[in-house]
Amino acid sequence: MKKGMAAIFEAFRFKQKDTFMHRLDPRTTFFMAVSFSIIGMLFLQIIPLLLVLLSMLPFILLARSTRQWLKSLQGLAYLAGFILIINSFFISFSFAISTVLRLVALMTAFSLFFLTVHPDDFALALIKMRIPYEFAFAFSMAVRYVPTIATETETIRDAQMSRGLELERGNVFQKVRNYVPILIPIIVSSIRRALQVAESLESRAFGSTATRTSLHDLKLRKRDYTMMLLTILALAFVLYVAFVVQIQFPYLLPDWFFWGLPF
Amino acid sequence: MIIFENVGFEFEPGHPVLRNLSLELEPGQVVGLMGENGAGKTTLVKQINGLLKPTTGTVYVDGIDTRETSTAQLARKIGFVFQNADHQLFADTLQAEVAFALRNLDFSKDEIDDRVARYLELFELTRYQDQSPFLLSGGERKRLALASVLCVEPQILILDEPTQAQDALQKEKLLTFMDTFRDPEHILLLVTHDVEFAVKAVDRLLVLSQGQLIADGLPTHILSNPRILDRARLLPPQLTQLAHQLAKEFPNFPTDVTTIAAAAEAVNQLLRRQR
Repeated sequence: MKKGMAAIFEAFRFKQKDTFMHRLDPRTTFFMAVSFSIIGMLFLQIIPLLLVLLSMLPFILLARSTRQWLKSLQGLAYLAGFILIINSFFISFSFAISTVLRLVALMTAFSLFFLTVHPDDFALALIKMRIPYEFAFAFSMAVRYVPTIATETETIRDAQMSRGLELERGNVFQKVRNYVPILIPIIVSSIRRALQVAESLESRAFGSTATRTSLHDLKLRKRDYTMMLLTILALAFVLYVAFVVQIQFPYLLPDWFFWGLPF
Repeated sequence: MIIFENVGFEFEPGHPVLRNLSLELEPGQVVGLMGENGAGKTTLVKQINGLLKPTTGTVYVDGIDTRETSTAQLARKIGFVFQNADHQLFADTLQAEVAFALRNLDFSKDEIDDRVARYLELFELTRYQDQSPFLLSGGERKRLALASVLCVEPQILILDEPTQAQDALQKEKLLTFMDTFRDPEHILLLVTHDVEFAVKAVDRLLVLSQGQLIADGLPTHILSNPRILDRARLLPPQLTQLAHQLAKEFPNFPTDVTTIAAAAEAVNQLLRRQR
């Protein structure tokens, strides 16, 4: 449990590296992540989802983040296992597999974004997209605090276990209730911290000027336009397949497209 | 009795936090644990109640290997008060907060009521008993955290930085309270950066540096040893610093002075000799 939770967060922890993916403008990476997620949401067949996943791998490799990505998959294992069991029980094993693949694809798309974009650059990108500064800042703070809260959660869990808390005790409802002594301190200390951060921001004159300038500016370069164009083409092609071909001319699609397990 | 036998621990392979650590803690002692930030102090104490299990070697608590039991089992015997009270308070009322551990450990209802009342009284919190813990001041929350662990009446008590953000009066009270653990049944382990407090509070001092035990003995000896202090990034107690200053001028002045009584005695001797 502990390892699993920490590992999931590992997938979204930015690490400074000098790679093609890291050099892209955050807006480009964001657009790519959203497009990949849309593509992942369009299909529920095993082979197309595998293809979506495969098409993201080169970018993970380009970002030299394979280890972090694999670690996060390991962290996802519990949730994936749960989905697999529930879905095979109620629907079918084949459907369960595609749901898990979709989950992995979505997580890969966004971890690609969070692994290669510095939270500050992300805020800057939001401002460029005309989002008010306060909101952009709040968002980058939220991202920044995810690892802090993850560590804090482990400390709180340790503190309550030292007081004899057993998370696995009781029936399903009791098990959920067992988490109350962990959740409340997380919420309370997050609120306390938020208030402190707000005071510290105000004492450093946050929001004193309406327009802000920034030290370094984001600029879309040739590589950004190229990647965005490629993404648009890919997205257009997939949308065409999903909404036109799949619905009106399904016989044009190869058999493997619809392949599923018989159970 | 707590025994560490060649204990090694690592969170990630290749990055040891504790290295080949052997240690025995016997009842009847108040033991201090000091060391620089990141030395492994918290990691060490978490081995005792099984929150972490050794990667190599073994930790025994009263003859039981911590790998063969659970933290919940050990909670009956070991109380652990964490650094930040906000990391453990959650209940609707102070009473419920203190009762939490007792309920987890299946104490009878009468016993729970009795102990909750006694421990709220002991920490001067009775008048708030029906309030929410979150309405208390910082110092009161810290005391409540202490009460909610101590009500189990553990044989072994671990306090992680109990003096942080406490005023002088509260520190004095803590000292008095810690005295009650100085008996043949109890072990008290105090993790701290507060040298002045450690000097007053502990009978035996352990110094950890980069995951290794670099000193184990009387606080007076250790805290006046510049080599150890330097490695563990500790400043000697103020009295010891003063003694070193005086020793520059008066070569016979003892430098292993840590208590007021010893300092007064040394100064008296010096004055007598001067006359």
